[in-house]
Amino acid sequence: MALLDKFAPTAAIRDQLGAGGQDPTSVIIEQIISPTEGLVGGRHTILAGTNNYLGLTFDPACVEAGKNAIEEQGTGTTGSRMANGSFATHIALERDLADFFQLPYGMVFSTGYAANLGTLTALVKSGDTVLLDADCHASLYDGCQMSGANLFRFRHNDLKSLEKRLQRLGDRAQDCLLITEGMYSVRGDTAPLAEIVELKNRYGALLLVDEAHSLGVYGESGCGVAEAEGVLGEIDFVVGTFSKSLGAMGGFCVSPHPELELIRYVSRPFIFTASSSPSIIASTHEALRQLRARPELRETLWRNANRLYQGLKALGLHLGPEVSPVVAVRLDKKEQPLSYWNRLLEAGVYTNLIIPPASPDGFSYLRCSVSAAHTPAQLEGIISAFTSLQYAG
Amino acid sequence: MDTRFDEIESKIKELLASYLESSGHPELEQHGEISGATNLVSDFTMDSFQVMEFLMEMEECFDIMIDVNNLANAHTVNELAKVVDRLLENSR
Repeated sequence: MALLDKFAPTAAIRDQLGAGGQDPTSVIIEQIISPTEGLVGGRHTILAGTNNYLGLTFDPACVEAGKNAIEEQGTGTTGSRMANGSFATHIALERDLADFFQLPYGMVFSTGYAANLGTLTALVKSGDTVLLDADCHASLYDGCQMSGANLFRFRHNDLKSLEKRLQRLGDRAQDCLLITEGMYSVRGDTAPLAEIVELKNRYGALLLVDEAHSLGVYGESGCGVAEAEGVLGEIDFVVGTFSKSLGAMGGFCVSPHPELELIRYVSRPFIFTASSSPSIIASTHEALRQLRARPELRETLWRNANRLYQGLKALGLHLGPEVSPVVAVRLDKKEQPLSYWNRLLEAGVYTNLIIPPASPDGFSYLRCSVSAAHTPAQLEGIISAFTSLQYAG
Repeated sequence: MDTRFDEIESKIKELLASYLESSGHPELEQHGEISGATNLVSDFTMDSFQVMEFLMEMEECFDIMIDVNNLANAHTVNELAKVVDRLLENSR
């Protein structure tokens, strides 16, 4: 029994989460009506926490591409690419992704998590040094941990903290890997990538940027924050996911370094995982085409983000420092998170509840992610639900 | 133990008390004096975020870099003091 006793504290936390109503970790969406609406508990609910930034999950061309792929190539690949071979469509997506970023090399993974694990465990080893922004996603931490590299954190978006560590490393700085994200997922703030690139060039380090939440959102072409900051060509490795703006599942790494092609041979999370199913690859590829061909999606997304941010700001809520498609409301009192999250759900708005230790700064957040598919009425509905919290006590 | 180690341990106790006070840990009063055997997680229910934050405060205080991949056996004040002592020794 001792082996299973360790779950007792987890059970206590789960019971606590469900005590005030719905457990936020086990919401069931009975029916998906659109990218921004579902049935929860039999009630029409605005989905305000999906990361479906461009709203492409129901795009007719993406759906059609997925359907056709199943009919033409079957439901799955039934194994890894190294053992079973790559489908031509995997290779075509890798080429188009690389072309999109104007980089020569691209590699597709089965999930965004696997992309970070697979890239990092191949890239750094015991004896190598990594400097990681403290607010980076768990998948980046896990990849560094699995790699066995020496892992040092710098304060979030703090250039002085980063440079101090580069200085302390001395000669080792020129062989170290810096890791940041483009847009950070909880608070929606962005990395000062132009300045970070200047530091990495000055010290001779390499830089990996995770654009999971910024792909399709930032930059003239939608490549992410590095493009928006004018430094895309100076990033050594860009990683990202298909499960947000591209509305499917999977991950990728693109790079100017030919060594990316060798990662295929040494990356265990790539080698020992079944490759993405044909329908996922096809809908992702079509979503990438849509992202490139329809910049108006991005314009609508930003218009919506601005409306929600300003609407919640006008209520006096504590928001992140900049307008972005992630609008996170910070809660300062311990009794607020579960109660407020439940009240929003009762008011027909589903948000993400982020509580410590999953939050980056010890505070709790009601996190909204805006979609280009949100209608003006839905955005007003979200603002109205938050307004009702003001009187909830 | 030498004087330097004692000084390091003492400084970590001071830092921890200050961190716990500022992050609102009521257990500080119940626990009484922080000792070398004080365990950050089991004695003060610090979550992983708070442990990482505290490590960063230690880095700044001692002007060192702590490898978070090599902290598996450092749970108590005394064990953390050994880590700091070793890092300071290596940087000489």
